[in-house]
Amino acid sequence: MHLNSSPNRVQFAGNAKLEMLIVVAVELLCAFLLGTFLLSDSTAIIVALLCLMGGVFALLQIRPQIEKSIVSAFANQRILALVLGFVVIVAYPFFMQGSSYAIHLLIISLLYAVLALALNFQLGSANIPNFATGASYGIGAYTSALLAINFGISFWLTLPAAALVATLFGFLLGFPSMRTKDSYLALVTIAFGIVVHQLLNNFSWTGGPNGLVGIPAPSLFGHSFIRPIEILGYKLPSQANFYYLTILLVIFSILFAKRLHESRVGLAWNALRADPLAAQCQGINVVWYKMLAFGVDAFLAAFAGTIYAFYVSYISPDNFTFLVSVTIMTMVIVGGMDNTLGVIVGAFLLTLLPEKLRIFSDYRLLFVGVVVILFLVLRPKGLFPQRIRNYGQRK
Amino acid sequence: MDALFAQYILNWLVLGCIYTLIALGFSLLFGVLNVIHFSHGDVSMTAPFFALAFVQIVVAALATVLGTWSIYLGLAVGILLTGMLGIILDWLVIRRFRAAPAMMALVATVALGSVLRELIRALYPQGSNPKSFPSLASGSIELGGVTIPNFSVLVIFISVAMVAALFWMMSHSAIGIRIRAVAEDRDIARLMAISPDRIFAVTFFLASAVGAIGAIFFASHAGVVRFDFGVQLGLIGFSAAVIGGLGSMQGAILGSLLIAGIDSIVQITVPDGASYRLVFIFALVILTLVLKPSGILGKPVFEKV
Repeated sequence: MHLNSSPNRVQFAGNAKLEMLIVVAVELLCAFLLGTFLLSDSTAIIVALLCLMGGVFALLQIRPQIEKSIVSAFANQRILALVLGFVVIVAYPFFMQGSSYAIHLLIISLLYAVLALALNFQLGSANIPNFATGASYGIGAYTSALLAINFGISFWLTLPAAALVATLFGFLLGFPSMRTKDSYLALVTIAFGIVVHQLLNNFSWTGGPNGLVGIPAPSLFGHSFIRPIEILGYKLPSQANFYYLTILLVIFSILFAKRLHESRVGLAWNALRADPLAAQCQGINVVWYKMLAFGVDAFLAAFAGTIYAFYVSYISPDNFTFLVSVTIMTMVIVGGMDNTLGVIVGAFLLTLLPEKLRIFSDYRLLFVGVVVILFLVLRPKGLFPQRIRNYGQRK
Repeated sequence: MDALFAQYILNWLVLGCIYTLIALGFSLLFGVLNVIHFSHGDVSMTAPFFALAFVQIVVAALATVLGTWSIYLGLAVGILLTGMLGIILDWLVIRRFRAAPAMMALVATVALGSVLRELIRALYPQGSNPKSFPSLASGSIELGGVTIPNFSVLVIFISVAMVAALFWMMSHSAIGIRIRAVAEDRDIARLMAISPDRIFAVTFFLASAVGAIGAIFFASHAGVVRFDFGVQLGLIGFSAAVIGGLGSMQGAILGSLLIAGIDSIVQITVPDGASYRLVFIFALVILTLVLKPSGILGKPVFEKV
């Protein structure tokens, strides 16, 4: 490993100290603003933070150099950025002032980030629409919950089982993609999503519309996840257990996404996005890579579903409707297709907005819809647009 | 049994007509603008609310003069306003996505749909609750031992008339020919002194107004209307248009009749059919698209290199 090798180094060989300062400032500022947003109850502060965010993105739109210098600073100071990021993430629950609500919001946002990353393989990398991510998420959740309730299987064993079942569903879903495409394929996935939701709603063994209750909490080395964490006399709410678990899943997903993006599979998907016909002429097995995209999406979604089921300990079909799938699609598109950071930001934004806009009570969904449309109109490539693949000189 | 069978046929036709009126809008908009207007169901569903609101305002003022006709006036106003709403939404939002990737327009119109629903809920008094909607025609006629509600006759008659008028318009009238020219090639149409923007506005008005009639029938058929009825109606209309072949008006009709058919059959034959109807409808959608990937009447696209 060459620690200093990075594609951007040659172009932007800036002042190392300044770059370190930029990295530290950006990371801490983001963490601080997110924390303030999560903890604040006052309308004025929330609206001010949203305006600030809008202002920052407007600034980035007008002055692209700022974005470029931040990106290059992170690229040149990768180790610092990663270590500091890791410390911030691990220490984050300690700054939540013991507010279990704030940590709950974080967990839900992170789960949606995983779902959005899952969908990103399809929509972002290969431009295959999929309105059934919510269904894969639901299948994962129901599989693990049913195994745990009926057979007493532990959380850690239901994870792979749920992933297996959901991946099979993903391939089944991908099957029609051999022939249909675009709007027709979008409708097939919509139809699959609705069929799954309706079946969950009607079967008696899935609990019907009432769903499944009493999913047992997981435990690890004798530590049950419903007990609070105590470290050095500092007590964290029990949600923190699931926070760390979800963080692990997010890190796994990001690494998974990165490895896939850099592999031949990622290249093949990008080729499909550019032109399926040209890709086929290059000897890429179009059918297989399309199916694979569906499978990978369902695989990751199932993990998120399992954690969700065990975290909330209660699931019902209404958690996995068509509108959930649409929300995940919106996260990817608003955040920025094929950009990991963008997708995660999109997931956080669209999870936290409706929650934090409860002050507008009846008008919050209206407000969210307007914000989504505004984002799509004003920043059509997403908050963080897709980057061009960089094959710079790696030493 | 025969009388019962006739009732089923009648029910199928009424549902088929309602779905057709919605599906035609999807097909028209896709054919001309190449855009999937996912909020079409929600736009259409504003019509019953416009009509109800208008009736309530007018009844207070003009009831003595208009009598029972105020509801029909209300419906006419509702249909017109919905058509205008289509144009306004296109001008405000949808036209910004003409050049964007298809999925972006789709997501934007989904968001637009949720904005519309929430607007109805927020602006209409007690908008979250279902509102009762009057039946457009009461009574029934007896025909060979079969009771035919006047409402069914009205729905079928008006729908067939609307579809016939639409077909005639598209093939014979000047505006219809212009619409088809723009659908064929925007740029060449512009060279022929046809303004695509004006044609887009006309298309949006037509699609929304026809959808509005469908939504009014739907509300009247159900007897109630709620702010979120547009989601399901829109999904079914969209499915009908797609399995028939997007952009083909005959396809939209065929798809609607197919979906209404499976809807009616399931409700009769499958035990607990009412709760499984969506499963069967969308299973049919999947099956159709697996067998005919570009819809029943859609033209298969051959890519040229």
